[in-house]
Amino acid sequence: MNNQDLVFLSATELANKIREKQISPVEVVKAYLDRIAVVDPKLNAYITVLADEALVAAHEAETDITSGLNKGPLHGVPVGVKDQIHTEGIRTSSASRIRSDFVPDVDAAVVSGLRKSGAIILGKLNMTEFAMGDPITSAFGVTRNPWDLSRSPGTSSTGSGAATASFMCASSLGEDTGGSVRGPAANCGLVGIRPSWGRVSRYGVDGASWSLDTIGPISRTVEDCALTLGAIAGYDRRDQYTKDVPVPDYGAALTGDVSGLKVGLIKEFLDPDVMGVTEPVRQGVLDAARLLVSLGAEVEETSLPLAQVAGVASRIISSVERSSLHPEWLRNRPDDLHHNTRVAFTAGELVPSSVYYKAQKLRTMVRRQALEAFERFDILAMPIASEPATIMDLRPGIPSKQAAVRALTEGSYRGLFSMVSGPALSICCGFSTDGARKLPLALQIAGRPFDETTVLNVAYAYEQNTNWHLERPPELN
Amino acid sequence: MPELNDDDIRVLAKAVNLDIQDSDITDVKHSLNAMLDAIESINPEGINGIEPLPVIFQTGD
Repeated sequence: MNNQDLVFLSATELANKIREKQISPVEVVKAYLDRIAVVDPKLNAYITVLADEALVAAHEAETDITSGLNKGPLHGVPVGVKDQIHTEGIRTSSASRIRSDFVPDVDAAVVSGLRKSGAIILGKLNMTEFAMGDPITSAFGVTRNPWDLSRSPGTSSTGSGAATASFMCASSLGEDTGGSVRGPAANCGLVGIRPSWGRVSRYGVDGASWSLDTIGPISRTVEDCALTLGAIAGYDRRDQYTKDVPVPDYGAALTGDVSGLKVGLIKEFLDPDVMGVTEPVRQGVLDAARLLVSLGAEVEETSLPLAQVAGVASRIISSVERSSLHPEWLRNRPDDLHHNTRVAFTAGELVPSSVYYKAQKLRTMVRRQALEAFERFDILAMPIASEPATIMDLRPGIPSKQAAVRALTEGSYRGLFSMVSGPALSICCGFSTDGARKLPLALQIAGRPFDETTVLNVAYAYEQNTNWHLERPPELN
Repeated sequence: MPELNDDDIRVLAKAVNLDIQDSDITDVKHSLNAMLDAIESINPEGINGIEPLPVIFQTGD
């Protein structure tokens, strides 16, 4: 194998070959750095590339492995980290001018987890400013979708999606408030899981919305996703909302056996007249459901009428919580914020408390309805969005109130499971074509709180019987 | 609910000690009116009996 081809191996394959001393982590890191040098000028997925640090870590890994020391399942594997996740001694900007010189003293819990499992931190990935939902707000420039440079890579973990899809890291971490792991995974043809709220520590992560934020992996395969999640999951006393429950061996649970599993397809999101789903997305999800049936799962449609309001409620909650985190920025440094970020922070501050409370009431009702459905189904499935990645409007501003309402409604696709607070995963389920470009479609698979294992296993069964994950974006060099 | 206009936005901003920029007012108005309109129309049966707390870990989780 040519060294330059090492980047095309999955994280799991890399980890195995490194452990078996078939390849050197130094060769792997060099191959990724070469790839970044060629590809990233087109995509702008990285804010900071840690070339020197990664090479030092790779040499250490090589020495360890040669001497028989195996640090963990990601030993020697290069991983990218979203730039709102603290890294000791390394700038963590949240893609904002306001934080452009912030250098944390301590790693985030998830970064510690990666390092303990032997991963090499390859760099800090671009994102939208303070993890807002708009793809154009990063102070470090817009990140492009490798499948079509004019389209959104998905927000807010823009760089995590773009870098992983274009083979500029083996796996990555994102942060999901209202879909920021699942959206980039969907738009870039990847696998991304929003773990249960409380499964992964948020210690050392610049918050977006305290009651909705989760940290999750974005990877090229389900195995890689399981491997990365295993490295970051678990109780952490520094995050009072992590739950002290055992972390399963996610990789070992990937049997691919879904026979007898009950899957509920949420029909509101498959009806174009209700939630505006487009035909390619609808067909992709229905085809995926048929495949699961052929594998022995029992699939039936189910109704979650309140799911339609999840976008409105979750967006109001996140708007208020986000704007309350650092009110001084809006007052002392307004010109250092992107116009759209400033507008979102301001609107969040002006939401009446009665409206925030009503959104919280709706959250409780939506969650109850979903949990009742989980008494009948092991898994709920639906699209992750009404359409594939859209063309980015690079002009700042909100075109109209109607456009803002549409964004709230579309937010229900991802906001639903953000409010349920159980795990939800996005996996590629085909491609649509728009002109010469292929655009990934995505299936969303959600499970009961803390049942990431079933979610990952259903995704694995689907992946093992399809070839979508083998597709590559057009070469950019 | 009547639409908030530019002056309403200025008054609301002043009430929270925010010196809003003229260039931001129209977009803040669109965003806020969208949220207020959307949630006003959502009134599922039983909502008044729900406590407005984000109960995330429930029995059985």
